[in-house]
Amino acid sequence: MPLSGYLIGEEPYYRPTGNEIALFEAAYADRMPMMLKGPTGCGKTRFVEHMAWRLGKPLITVACHEDMTASDLVGRFLLDADGTVWHDGPLTLAVRHGAICYLDEIVEARQDTTVVIHPLTDERRVLPLEKKNELVRAHPDFQLVISYNPGYQSVLKDLKESTKQRFGAVDFGYPAPEVEAEIVAHEAAVPRDVATLLVRIAERSRNLKGHGLDEGVSTRMLIYAARLVHRGIALESACQVALVLPITDDPDIRDALSAAISACAA
Amino acid sequence: MAEERGGLQREGGQDDAGPLREALPELARCFPDGRGEAAAAACRRMTAQGLGAAAVAYARTAPACVRMVGAGAALALAASVEALGRTAGPPAALALAQAAAKAARRLGTAEAFAAWLGVVEELAAAAPESVSALLGRIEGVLVDLDVPRFEGWVLAGLRMAGGDPARRRAYFALEDPEALRWLERAAADLGFSAVERRLKAYLLALWRLRAPIRPVGAAGSDGPPRRVSFASGIIRVPESFRGYEGPVAMALFRASLAHVAAHFRFTRRRFAVGRLKPLQVALVSLVEDARVEQLAMAEFPGLRRLWLPFHVAEPGDAPIAPSLMARLSRALVDPAYQDDDAWVRKGRQLFFDTRDRWDDPAISRHIGGLLGNDLGQMRVQFNARTYVVEPVYRDDNAGLWDFGDRAPSPGASDTLVESVRIDRIDDSPAPDRRRPDPQPQDADDGAPHRAAEDTQDAPGVPVARYPEWDHLIAREREDWTTVVDYPAEPGDPRKVDRVLEERPDLAYRIRALVRSAKVSRPVRLRRQSEGDRLDLNACVGAAVTRRLGQSPDPRVYETSVRRDRDLSVLVLLDVSESTNDKVLGGITSVLGLERDATALLAHGMAELGDPFAIHAFCSNGREEVRYLRVKDFGRPYDAAARARLAGLRGGLSTRIGAALRHAGAALAPQLTHRRLLLCITDGEPSDIDVFDRRYLVEDARHTVMALSRQGIDTFCVGLDTAGEAYLTRIFGRRNVLQVDRLDRLPETLPSLYFRLTA
Repeated sequence: MPLSGYLIGEEPYYRPTGNEIALFEAAYADRMPMMLKGPTGCGKTRFVEHMAWRLGKPLITVACHEDMTASDLVGRFLLDADGTVWHDGPLTLAVRHGAICYLDEIVEARQDTTVVIHPLTDERRVLPLEKKNELVRAHPDFQLVISYNPGYQSVLKDLKESTKQRFGAVDFGYPAPEVEAEIVAHEAAVPRDVATLLVRIAERSRNLKGHGLDEGVSTRMLIYAARLVHRGIALESACQVALVLPITDDPDIRDALSAAISACAA
Repeated sequence: MAEERGGLQREGGQDDAGPLREALPELARCFPDGRGEAAAAACRRMTAQGLGAAAVAYARTAPACVRMVGAGAALALAASVEALGRTAGPPAALALAQAAAKAARRLGTAEAFAAWLGVVEELAAAAPESVSALLGRIEGVLVDLDVPRFEGWVLAGLRMAGGDPARRRAYFALEDPEALRWLERAAADLGFSAVERRLKAYLLALWRLRAPIRPVGAAGSDGPPRRVSFASGIIRVPESFRGYEGPVAMALFRASLAHVAAHFRFTRRRFAVGRLKPLQVALVSLVEDARVEQLAMAEFPGLRRLWLPFHVAEPGDAPIAPSLMARLSRALVDPAYQDDDAWVRKGRQLFFDTRDRWDDPAISRHIGGLLGNDLGQMRVQFNARTYVVEPVYRDDNAGLWDFGDRAPSPGASDTLVESVRIDRIDDSPAPDRRRPDPQPQDADDGAPHRAAEDTQDAPGVPVARYPEWDHLIAREREDWTTVVDYPAEPGDPRKVDRVLEERPDLAYRIRALVRSAKVSRPVRLRRQSEGDRLDLNACVGAAVTRRLGQSPDPRVYETSVRRDRDLSVLVLLDVSESTNDKVLGGITSVLGLERDATALLAHGMAELGDPFAIHAFCSNGREEVRYLRVKDFGRPYDAAARARLAGLRGGLSTRIGAALRHAGAALAPQLTHRRLLLCITDGEPSDIDVFDRRYLVEDARHTVMALSRQGIDTFCVGLDTAGEAYLTRIFGRRNVLQVDRLDRLPETLPSLYFRLTA
């Protein structure tokens, strides 16, 4: 199997917060394209990895960016000593051999690039390789998953209506405090009370969303902070390094956050 | 003391020769190097000028001044007394001579004293009626201020009074509360205003609390120490806490607000005063303070570290009510604190026995009542009049009690701006969607959309306060101007449409100009037949095609171009009185020309779907910078908007800096690549309360520079060729365009867009 390198061996830790696993399994059973929405660092990517492992399918992840072209997805001819050789792009690989293809932060890619996924996301399930004059029919195992952060939404970065309407969606938010503490404690191997405290701190920062912060502290940031604590760094310095300094450059907001952290800490 | 004896002399009548003769030998002796003769000569000169009383006062005060600030400064004082006699009259001269020793004692050095004399002379020249009143209170003023701050405060007073001698006198006699507030502000090493934003963010982060906070001024330098206060949802914070500086002051502000927030969170209902005695009220409040703090600390244990350092009561303090109460306060929140006093121990016992019921405010009332009875039986004196809540971070408890029909605390008129500010935070305007919303937003098209405009004769609604730059002190004066939203009265939209009908050629050319302007982030174009760089992908593709034996695509270059206009424009119209004048050598009024030019430009931008807004301003003193919204971002440029444009009338003055700041705030949230503030004005900035011609020009210049730091480009279209000098001073030489006829508009517009892209 050409994609064995993309198989996930060990179970990635994922703590469900609702029925998203059942939803995703049902969607996969019908190979329905899925869209995962939610703020950065809330566990979208981890969820896809977990589902790929659970379903026993290879996972091909593409981080989308502004300069990505359609050939970065589908593939291109390259030169070698004897002539030209076609090289499948990540999307074509997944389509041909039956993997879950995960396009991370799809809005970052230009809208005209993303239309190449259209024929894959309706009944046709085909990928036309125009340059190679080939029509790749999707492997029965192939599924397309995209992630999408509505928080960044600006006028310039939004999905085309025709793209949006081809997907089912799961909405992710930050988990409930106890669940989030459980996740942090597990991921960073810190005692539960440290994790609970960090989650309380995160809630303080999320109160400032829209009033100085574009986005509150994510679960991922909390795990980083907890790992520093695990390595013996004092809690307040760990929070400075992992939470306050990365999230904002505004001195007033930094000061308010630091003071709030100090109020939370015993 | 010398100067006090001088004060008795004030009533001494015309004949001062006797006392002066007595004082002169002493005067001559106290100056070293024979400079006493110069001082004596100055005294004689004063007498000759009819300043006899001042001369006597000077002769008596000079020895003290020589001791404290040196002979040179004492001689300079003589010159200043003479000068004041000329500019502000004999009483002012006398007041200076009498005040000099006090000032010298406060200032301490010859340089500071000389600088202070300079400020006093300036003040005497600018406000002769007020200088005596100030000099009479100089000691209290100089307690907190060094000379540069004193000068700043004096200038603030002159600006504030705006040429009204009665207001000046009230300010300098410290009768105007504003004077005290500014005094406080000038004195504060760390004023509340400087840290307001971070403290608000702190409250929001911890408690999701967004209550309006209002700084309040001093109650007077000898009044009781002030505390934070809250009532009807508004928090009042002293501009500074006397005696607390730097990081401690910051911690104190934070502790105070955290305490008030704990009340907001846990004291849900106010207590009824009923028949409680003042002592009981104070004790119930004290227990309630401890109760909310305990609950808050259960949630945020770190607050203990914030609050405890301010609890400084010690067991040994005298057993009088204030000290016992401070000790009880400490005992209730500081677990490590030990106190042997039976009453304090009892209070602590009662309080901690009810630990399980701390979430019920009734226990405060219960325990406070019991403790009050005990204290009463102990015959400990309690004076409600002089009682001040301790420790310093706690509020004055006014917000805890329901006094029945008693009027709320003063300054209610100030709250309007604050509450409006809060509204603005709550529903910040939606970002412009690049294209105007296709469906009409209101069914009643034509009705203005802002709530404030609904009522026909609504006076303006204050919406924001802005600082103003004072070039003399090279500092911004916080919250100096108030922008008031006024409804834009609709006029006849045909007035606006007419110019489009009459000059279709101009309308067409302007539209074409706007369309051809490309203001956006450069976009990379790949696969071009010509370009600056090779497109690597295309090159590889071409090589591949060649190897495949086909003819390659020759388009192997890439280039960058600006493709669209990613630009928001806010047109800010000056509608002051002077816009009613005729354009130099023309027949239309300046306002008419402004309107026509705006109509042409707006027509072009609306047709092309560019986001734009049209606002207008005029001013009536710093407290009323009127701001009219003809069209906002995201609103259609429809008949109603055109009617509002047609309805603009000229009146009042031109306080351009405040209007620019407000327009900048409206433009800042736009998400476009460039943001253009296009100010159309005719006249020199002026306002009824400003007499310094440079003042508003420098403020506007400062604003323009601040806006450009925010990434907002400011351009000015001047409709009066006479204005070149100050307009270029404000906006910069490159950013001013002069237009005297409508026909010149198409010629000048391209240069404007060109500067945006260059």
